[in-house]
Amino acid sequence: MRTFWAPIGRLGVYIVVGGVAAIMILPFYWMVITSFMPAPDILSFPPKWFPTHVTFEHFVVAFAKAPWLSYYWNSLVVAVGSVSCSLLFGLFAGYAFAVYRFPLQNLFFLLILGTLMVPVQVTSVALYIQLSKIGWVDTFLGILAPNFASAFGVFMLRQGIKQIPVDVIEAARIDGAGEMRIVLTIIAPLIKTTVATVAMILFLGSWNDFLWPVIIINSAGLRTLPVGIALFKDPYGNINYGPLMAATLISTAPMLIAYVVSQKYMIRGIAMTGLKG
Amino acid sequence: MQPGREGEQSPRPASYPRRTISRLHSRHIFHAYLFIAPVVLLFGLFRVLPSVQTLLFSFYKVELLKDRLTFIGLDNFISLFSDEIFQKATVNTLTYVITIVPISAFLGLVLAVLFNAQFALKEFFKAVYFSPMVTSTVAAAMVWWWMYNPQFGIFNVLLRLVGLPGQPWLMSSHMALPSIIIFSVWKNLGYNMIIYLAGLQAIPQQFYEAATIDGAGPVMRFRHVTIPLLAPTTTFILIYDTILALQVFDQVFVLTGGGPANSTNVVVLDLYRQAFERYNFGYAAAEAMVLFLFILAVTILQYYYSRRYEVAY
Repeated sequence: MRTFWAPIGRLGVYIVVGGVAAIMILPFYWMVITSFMPAPDILSFPPKWFPTHVTFEHFVVAFAKAPWLSYYWNSLVVAVGSVSCSLLFGLFAGYAFAVYRFPLQNLFFLLILGTLMVPVQVTSVALYIQLSKIGWVDTFLGILAPNFASAFGVFMLRQGIKQIPVDVIEAARIDGAGEMRIVLTIIAPLIKTTVATVAMILFLGSWNDFLWPVIIINSAGLRTLPVGIALFKDPYGNINYGPLMAATLISTAPMLIAYVVSQKYMIRGIAMTGLKG
Repeated sequence: MQPGREGEQSPRPASYPRRTISRLHSRHIFHAYLFIAPVVLLFGLFRVLPSVQTLLFSFYKVELLKDRLTFIGLDNFISLFSDEIFQKATVNTLTYVITIVPISAFLGLVLAVLFNAQFALKEFFKAVYFSPMVTSTVAAAMVWWWMYNPQFGIFNVLLRLVGLPGQPWLMSSHMALPSIIIFSVWKNLGYNMIIYLAGLQAIPQQFYEAATIDGAGPVMRFRHVTIPLLAPTTTFILIYDTILALQVFDQVFVLTGGGPANSTNVVVLDLYRQAFERYNFGYAAAEAMVLFLFILAVTILQYYYSRRYEVAY
């Protein structure tokens, strides 16, 4: 019985897994194919699964209509800014919570973790009003404000630092290293896997973040990629799918390439921490 | 240890244990506060303070341009409860949550079980399933918006190709919300699968061996070993997905903008409109409080459940 059913079971697994994979990949395929198709192909029936010839006209239109390089730059500035601040502050706070004992420690720790319960979706109104009073609306600082530090980062880095034997820290102290130097030159390299995972998840979250940037940004010059693509859709309602898909491809390509290169590592990181950006 | 003690009177070695530690200890408190100061300060300013202010503003009429706050008691909340659009948005959000959370958890589990076996190209397929997770929701929704196009979109083109009538998808008030749900399942499926897969791989093989010896078949093993031992993973996925689903915004903004006729309006979208298009900040703060209460309720639920499993494990 077993030998009879096993190949059929195996075939079944391939049919299900392959079928679902086709559905998962279809939107990516359709995006790419639409952005390289000549306009008549896009609207043809029956559908064209391959372009009759490859054209770059939609990319020319997309680049003429919006400053994609500036959107890239803005997304990069915001992501690098928030990731590096979150990591730096998170390392020190994580070290303090993992190694020291001090009054009100638990209260502060719970306060930091408690912010996870109040996402920016809830606080956006008050945060906007607050930032408008200090002139941070429509600035990089405004986009970064809720993302200078990350509760998730503090938590993960604390967990990582807890794994380090106290002897390592003691030895460094005896050698005369100051606490700050210990954190930056001894602790950080020892937990570099955790640091890299946290950095990757925070970067992904920042890169794809939409709600807060769309609230705080007014001027076109500050738009990040998701804001740029969302506002590319319909200034006057006339829909041209070729340039739209070209624009979508432009905005998703860097992350997709990074994913193709490092997918194994990225999936493992997210599975390990159980969190998405 | 006594010999030589006298001789080591001199500075470091002998005095090291007690004096240095006590000195380090007092320095620790200083360093501790110094090290948590940036995070505490930034969170205090940009997370905690706005949270408290959101609660506060929900009892006020807020006029930002005139820089005026008028206390109006519960008026915002009273208006909320008779606001049909907000009611619709709340019902839609809850419908979205109640549908998408179990569907994507169930599909995630099924796929994880399939992926727990060995087969060729497994890592490739895993990467394919996970790829929507790393793509920006806005960009992915833009592609689906094109695919949902009633005239030229691939879905209707395929339907017509096999002789079925095309569907209105996002254009119909009955189909728009399900269409958004289908998109979100596609977007999040890989995540649930990966988390379930990690849970499955953590189950010790002995449990299965013991069950097999006791005569349990594959179905029995799945029901009585896999499902119970995955309970903590399931709780995590259900709670986490629920909290995120309550905050759904990006895909609605791109796919329908809340339409047609508010059939896909959701709480965060309505909050966004009230605050940043109509400048009813106090009213939007009240909506934010309602959203917060939902999140709070789920978090409390999680607290009790996770405690239960801590005991079980």
